[in-house]
Amino acid sequence: MINAVHISKHFGAVKAVDDVSLHIQKGEVICIIGPSGSGKSTLIRCLHGLETPDSGELYVNGEKVDFSKDSTRQLAHVGFVFQLFNLFPHKTVLENLTLGPIKAGGVPQAQAEETAHKLLKRVGLDDKAQSYPAQLSGGQKQRVAIARALCQSPEVILFDEPTSALDPEMIGEVLNVMKELADEGMTLAVVTHEMGFARKVASRVLFVDGGKIIEEGTPDQIFDHPQSDRLKLFLSQVIHI
Amino acid sequence: MSLEAFQRIMTSENVHFMLRSASYSVIIAICALVGGSVLGLLSASMKMSKHGVLRGIANVYVEIIRGTPMLLQIMLLFLGGPVITKSLFKFVFTPNPYVIGAVAVAINSGAYSTELFRSAIQSVDKGQWEAARTIGLNHWQTMKEIILPQAFKRILPPYINEFIVLLKDSSLLSSIGAVELLQSARVIGADNYNYLVPLLCATGMYLVMTLTISFFARKLERRLAESD
Repeated sequence: MINAVHISKHFGAVKAVDDVSLHIQKGEVICIIGPSGSGKSTLIRCLHGLETPDSGELYVNGEKVDFSKDSTRQLAHVGFVFQLFNLFPHKTVLENLTLGPIKAGGVPQAQAEETAHKLLKRVGLDDKAQSYPAQLSGGQKQRVAIARALCQSPEVILFDEPTSALDPEMIGEVLNVMKELADEGMTLAVVTHEMGFARKVASRVLFVDGGKIIEEGTPDQIFDHPQSDRLKLFLSQVIHI
Repeated sequence: MSLEAFQRIMTSENVHFMLRSASYSVIIAICALVGGSVLGLLSASMKMSKHGVLRGIANVYVEIIRGTPMLLQIMLLFLGGPVITKSLFKFVFTPNPYVIGAVAVAINSGAYSTELFRSAIQSVDKGQWEAARTIGLNHWQTMKEIILPQAFKRILPPYINEFIVLLKDSSLLSSIGAVELLQSARVIGADNYNYLVPLLCATGMYLVMTLTISFFARKLERRLAESD
């Protein structure tokens, strides 16, 4: 579905992503874990062209993504959820959801709103349709952001540390929505520090450090039978498994 | 100065004359604001452009205007304009002080609003561009739907201020013979050998206009702040 081939990205002298290849297949739930500054966020951002890789290629459904041109069309069915939500503060929740389908997808307004209400119900926030983002809690904002991504009728949704900016008591509601998506067969790739979520929900876990995928496997392989010393060290430091 | 002097000088005819002139001041300020916004937006996007030539042109424009007095710019355009068109296009025109004046003030305002627009656009969080991209909006859709509305809110207070500045600056057109509010006061003063009374009246009229604008600006600002 998404196939990244030998992707590299530098920031100055720092190799944020170092020759990484990653193939996301339909129905997979991939969790990407690793220490801060390991390049996992840059990696997932590269998969949506939010960072343009210095080298390497990206294929979506077999079609090569052309970063030099406006690549948004090719990535139209790849959803993205940000750490800081990035909702549009001057638009209502409903408008946040319908803007993409109406402006970019050419969907009639009535139809877009119907879909939006349906998706808001799915994340339990249909009563907030007319609210502005500033009137919502962090967890609610992130659930709206997930609904916004769902409005793109995505084939896969990428998450960049979706719960890292949330108060602890709000993390659960967001993870629950994500778990429901996974249970319904949605393809997900999630950069996360929530090891419990990765262990329970992931079909494949990638451990990234120094811009490279150090180890990958099932949650069982990664969390219970780590091979590399770096992963063992990382897991020993992450107390809340 | 006595009340008697006021009653003698500020006849209803003269009051009407000043009010009409005040309306010219407002019209000149509005034209300059609209023209200046177009110029400012254009030159702000040139300043943010990837092309060095465009950035250079915008920089030269802004620096020349900000580095010279506005009164000089107005005179240059009014007195020098016909000379330039004559030597370039063999075309002589009789400059209308209102039109030339409004154009000159617009060119001046454009330079100042360039920085206003640029900083407001660039102050919108980068994440907004990224989010717009992930929902499939192209560059101009993002600008129109996401960035400019948010930039507009930040611009509003200094922008209203710019309008007040322009309303006051329109008085400079009296130097090229446009009868706006200040010039009308001077005309009445000369007719009656008394400048104090009409100038005080002009002061009052300027204040009524500027304070009214500030009042509505604050109301509008509060309404726009609702979604924050």
